[in-house]
Amino acid sequence: MSIPLVPQLLRSHLKELADNDQRLDGRTQYQGRELELEVNVLANAEGSARVRMGDTIVFAGVKFQTMTPYSDRPNEGGLMCMAEVRPVAGRQHEAGPPSAESIELSRVVDRGIRESGCIDTSDLCIIPGEKAWQVILDLFAVSDDGNLFDAFALAGIAALRNATIPQEKFEVGADRPLVVSKTPIMCSYQRVGGRFIFDASGREELGGDERIHITLGDDDHVHSLQKGLKGAFTAAEFTELMEEARKKGSELRKMVHALDGGN
Amino acid sequence: MGYGDVEMIDANGIRNDGRKAGDVRPISIELGVVPVADGSCRMKWGNNDVIAAIYGPMEAHPRKIQRQDRAVLDVRYNMAPFSTSDRIRPGFNRRSREISKVTAEALESVVMLELYPRSKIRVEIEIICAEAGTRCVGLTAASIALADAGIPMTDLVISVASGKINDVVVCDLNKAEDNYGEADLPMGVLPNTGELVFLQMDGNLSPKEFQEAWDYNMDAAMVIHEYCVEALKTGRYPQ
Repeated sequence: MSIPLVPQLLRSHLKELADNDQRLDGRTQYQGRELELEVNVLANAEGSARVRMGDTIVFAGVKFQTMTPYSDRPNEGGLMCMAEVRPVAGRQHEAGPPSAESIELSRVVDRGIRESGCIDTSDLCIIPGEKAWQVILDLFAVSDDGNLFDAFALAGIAALRNATIPQEKFEVGADRPLVVSKTPIMCSYQRVGGRFIFDASGREELGGDERIHITLGDDDHVHSLQKGLKGAFTAAEFTELMEEARKKGSELRKMVHALDGGN
Repeated sequence: MGYGDVEMIDANGIRNDGRKAGDVRPISIELGVVPVADGSCRMKWGNNDVIAAIYGPMEAHPRKIQRQDRAVLDVRYNMAPFSTSDRIRPGFNRRSREISKVTAEALESVVMLELYPRSKIRVEIEIICAEAGTRCVGLTAASIALADAGIPMTDLVISVASGKINDVVVCDLNKAEDNYGEADLPMGVLPNTGELVFLQMDGNLSPKEFQEAWDYNMDAAMVIHEYCVEALKTGRYPQ
């Protein structure tokens, strides 16, 4: 980007705000933006969700394909998670092959879902060694005003929990719901003006430093962590963020559970 | 299965989705759906769900794409991976490239590009759910989004496709009609002048059938234009 001066001015403004325990949009340090979560919003996806956090808007869509199981796991299907941040989502996003940022985005979301074990891959087997279901979760950003990580992770798990395996279409039995036994939730924190805040907006991201992504399962077990961007943090800071993530995560999990079985 | 083998219209002239030959699928329009964009529009048309967003006018780079006397339109039509019944692999393909090109050329005919020399206007069209006629919905939504962005235009472009099923000419093909029908005639109409800026066709139409399909498109475009104007005045259609 060719605008290094603006972030410098923005950074000093953010520092001033942080010193007075304030944020650009009047939120408190660990307060998220207004959140909307809807499921079953796309007619051609087997499971779908839309998340809006302030001016950040994303969709998640679940599709199923059949695959040949891997030879070392003949009784298991697979999960693939892909995130796309296309140029529609903001003027800073350009056309072309996926950027390193969007690859990181999809891999971090993927790890949180995969490692929580919420999808039992042996339940995806159709004929051992020959045929199994591959679950494909596509995450699609419509409007990027910061914190796509949390938006994608929330839309992703909500879409999976409301997905139907289209067995009839593939002539392998009657349609059945995809079994998702857990609800991993990601909470992301970014250092802005010297302190960590929750759910950074686009401008806070522009003038911020390192970010930390924490994915917790239902029992508060950690399933994925990622530290991104330049910066160093202390053990004490991390402990505080983990505590915050536990509180926030259980709130968000309740929100996802309230929409379960919508299909 | 060949053309004409699937029954899509009954003896009373009622189509498989309950419409009569000249009826258009239900349409809804919402403006400002991409808050970070300079203009945007979400258009639902039957089961099609399309988002169009505008960025610019902005600096055109690299420099070699600049035009000294006008702005360039950078149009991208794309289908989301989950938009169809079989998943689409992400990335540009030949179909989306062609549709992007003809859409850009249709819009270049109405956007007053000469007002913004050496700049670029980005038009992003994302199909998040596809039924049939996504190029028509995309083009119409893009023209509404350009108007929402406050970019001077001589007219909107209203695009609609008519075609032929079981030897009957019908307006605004749905998915089954598009798949198994005998002809498809998408047009992009300027409602103020009745001129065309977009035209494609494939299939088999007699001169009489062609005229009928043409007339259906023209009539439908005028009706849809009313919806678009109302959406631009109030932010949405229907209210």
